[in-house]
Amino acid sequence: MDVLGFYPMWYVPVVGSGFVIAIIAAIHVMASHTSVGASILLAYLATKAYRENQPQIYDYIKKYLLGLLVFSYVSGSITGPGIWFSATVVNPRGISALIHNFVWVWAAEWVWFIAEVTLVYILFYTLGKIDQKSWLRLAWTFAISSWATMYIIVGILSFMLSPGHEKWFTTGSILDAFYNKNYFPHLLERTSYMFAIAGTVGLAIAALMKKDLPEKVYKDIVKTLSYWGIGGIVFGLMFFAWYVSTLPERSHVILEKVIPLYLKLPIMLIILVVLAHFVLAAVRPQAVRFWMAYPIYALIFFMGVYPEEKIRETIRKPYVAGEFVWVNQIISRDVPAKGIKSEVPVIDQKGLLTVNPFVPEGLKKINSQNEIMAGKAIAILQCSGCHNVTGSTGLRPFGQKFAGMTDPNAVYGFLTSYLRDNHPPYMPKLVGTDEEIKALSAYIAHMISKGGSVSAKIEVPNTSAEAKKEVQP
Amino acid sequence: MKDMIRWFLLFILSFMLIGGKWAFAGDVGAMLKAMADPAGAPFYPVVMQVLQVLTWMLHMIFVYTSIGGLFFTIYGFTKKEERWQRLAKATLELSKVSVSLAIVLGVAPLLFYQVIYDPLWYTSANLSAWWYVLFIVFLLIGYYFIWGAYFTKDKPSMSMLMSVLGVLFLLLVGFIIHVVNYQALYPEKWVEWYTDGGRTMNISGWNIYAFNVFRYLSFLVFPSIAVTGVFLMLYNWYFRSREDMDKDYLDWAGKLGARSAMYAGIGWLVSHILYIFTIPADWGAKGSIFTWLSVLGLVLCAGVVFSSQKNPAKMAIPSLLAGSVALLLIAVFREYLRVASTARFGYSIYSYKLNLEFLSPLLFLGTLLTGLVLYAYAWWMAYQAGKTPKGKVYEASETEHHLGDLSVFVVILWAIVFIGVGLIVVVRNYG
Repeated sequence: MDVLGFYPMWYVPVVGSGFVIAIIAAIHVMASHTSVGASILLAYLATKAYRENQPQIYDYIKKYLLGLLVFSYVSGSITGPGIWFSATVVNPRGISALIHNFVWVWAAEWVWFIAEVTLVYILFYTLGKIDQKSWLRLAWTFAISSWATMYIIVGILSFMLSPGHEKWFTTGSILDAFYNKNYFPHLLERTSYMFAIAGTVGLAIAALMKKDLPEKVYKDIVKTLSYWGIGGIVFGLMFFAWYVSTLPERSHVILEKVIPLYLKLPIMLIILVVLAHFVLAAVRPQAVRFWMAYPIYALIFFMGVYPEEKIRETIRKPYVAGEFVWVNQIISRDVPAKGIKSEVPVIDQKGLLTVNPFVPEGLKKINSQNEIMAGKAIAILQCSGCHNVTGSTGLRPFGQKFAGMTDPNAVYGFLTSYLRDNHPPYMPKLVGTDEEIKALSAYIAHMISKGGSVSAKIEVPNTSAEAKKEVQP
Repeated sequence: MKDMIRWFLLFILSFMLIGGKWAFAGDVGAMLKAMADPAGAPFYPVVMQVLQVLTWMLHMIFVYTSIGGLFFTIYGFTKKEERWQRLAKATLELSKVSVSLAIVLGVAPLLFYQVIYDPLWYTSANLSAWWYVLFIVFLLIGYYFIWGAYFTKDKPSMSMLMSVLGVLFLLLVGFIIHVVNYQALYPEKWVEWYTDGGRTMNISGWNIYAFNVFRYLSFLVFPSIAVTGVFLMLYNWYFRSREDMDKDYLDWAGKLGARSAMYAGIGWLVSHILYIFTIPADWGAKGSIFTWLSVLGLVLCAGVVFSSQKNPAKMAIPSLLAGSVALLLIAVFREYLRVASTARFGYSIYSYKLNLEFLSPLLFLGTLLTGLVLYAYAWWMAYQAGKTPKGKVYEASETEHHLGDLSVFVVILWAIVFIGVGLIVVVRNYG
């Protein structure tokens, strides 16, 4: 059996399986940035309470910790593995490539996860039950542990975009992979914005406690959070500019030409709104209201974090890991240091359907009976990571991309001249035998002639046993 | 009634038979080999294997107390007696914290497992992709029900309802992970399952192909009650020294725990043996020492728990140790099953491609040592705070202050080294 290591394919019509990751990842980023930012803000506030002898600040800290437990440490700790789980079924070979390179780095992050999760409970339950100095130490170790999880994951995220340097392909060194070109700007940018996110939710909590806290303490808390928040926004913008300057060339092209304005504009707007909110809070702490702060926090998710994550995922294309695994899970270049070989020549020679063990035998040899279904299988295997291949709505749909193209020859001409021989920098090269590309063209022309929408079901004329008999009479 | 039993048995049998469908195997060995990641393992597979077994065991302890704690909470809330109501709240607290710990501890075994058994895990997860994603969704919903139960704990009927919903979702989550683990053990059936014998490609991700009720009961349901029973014995032991705690209540809770651990332990043992009998003969598992060591571990643990019935507080620590040994042997047995299943096709993790490197294992080791210092300090302080009567503040001793300073120092040192190395590498590569 001549096979490559592909896994069973999961196809989500209309929105695409990547949408599942995007939703889970955005929730996680929101929760984790809130908790990491809050861990440092709360440690700072606890230091202030201890040094300035303002025990009422602890009441605020306790309430914030409960909020963190209920939101960040439920949603955040579940959606963290959730990204991993969804990536496992959306792009198993991509996540596998990362795990096989970074398993120990993730294991190190796990050590900090345990510290983070146990410490947040310990801080909550021991506040007022152990002496202040000991509690303060725990608060700072909690803060650094939380931040350490970000130190680690940012290196892996940056590698997903690009190893940053050709060197890694020949050294295979974990240091070259991890501390790549955009590691520090990426880390500093996230670090800055997390204070703005945690500060916003902190203002919402402070507003709720306005009546329970002495005026001076309340103002002190609000001003502290606002200054940190303003600093977070200002530094965040600076580090963002640095981050953009470290992006690979293809990402610049995508950022300028592919990313729509409706994703970029909300981010700019929400940054301005959050900044204005902090300035208002710093100048007039009494003006802070829960009904204002909390919706802004929610808007950060919809207008800031979700579009930002979408953009970050998109500028990585056509790769999903380290500029050697394409978004459609095909290994696209050699990594000599790891003994990894590009799969493109083998697929071009033998065919994508032939080398995939989960393609039914009855589709591996293309004939007039199975051509449309073989084409559909190729579309699902090769294109569904970024396209709705069975409809006209949702994720960059085939129905719209190929609108009006009901002639298989015209589709074939487009596929070969544009996507195979001269593919754009953000798309993988179209691979497979000429026969397969013809089947794909036949399928696309067929779906367009059916109104641009067909069922995702694949029906194979012959069972695998029958097809095998035909091959071996 | 008889009809109901018949239908129930038929239902179970049908699930078991799903796993016995004729397989279109092809060359399974070549497929498994091709699926192993070409990047290879960055360290000796046996180390990954050992770490996977150990961390799975730790993870499962808190999975069991998450679910078992809710069983006790639900039962406790149905009782009018004050001690039952009190216990219900205590086990609810146990469950709430345990879910967090189970989640965070569950990361490591899955991580190490995916390095050496990637063909098994990724295939099985993708065969039932939607369910695999729903694992996360159901866990989230279940955990929020548990928090809901916690916030309504002074309204027993509402809290009980939330706890029932919480435990149902956790059991569903357990069901999904059971299915994914179980399907992974039958590589000879994957292609047949996914293609329906070659007629289609099941790309929807909604299919579930195999389930074994005895494995589910023995790996999840019975141990949940038994392990939580041992935790109640520890609860008795830990709080006995606190002057503001009711000793009669604690003794009652300890005895209840010991009794529950014993009865549930018998269920655990029986379902475990029944599961062993459903393992296909060609795996050779029934004659393996690992199989019978896992049974022996459970028998020995049952013996210790049996002798704890009169004085649960005194026997709490020995019971914990015996339970840990039993669970470790089960973790080894569970891993052995993978070895036995994949050996049929010539797949061995010990011959997994190796791309050895030492820097990232060193990072892990350094982080682990740093973490251990921090854990020691934090957990010790938590232990002392829990022993301090309500309304009083625990004042740390000189030694504890030193340990605290040390933990802050090592954590900061770790951060400096981590960032410092990064700066050197970046300057060297891009400077």
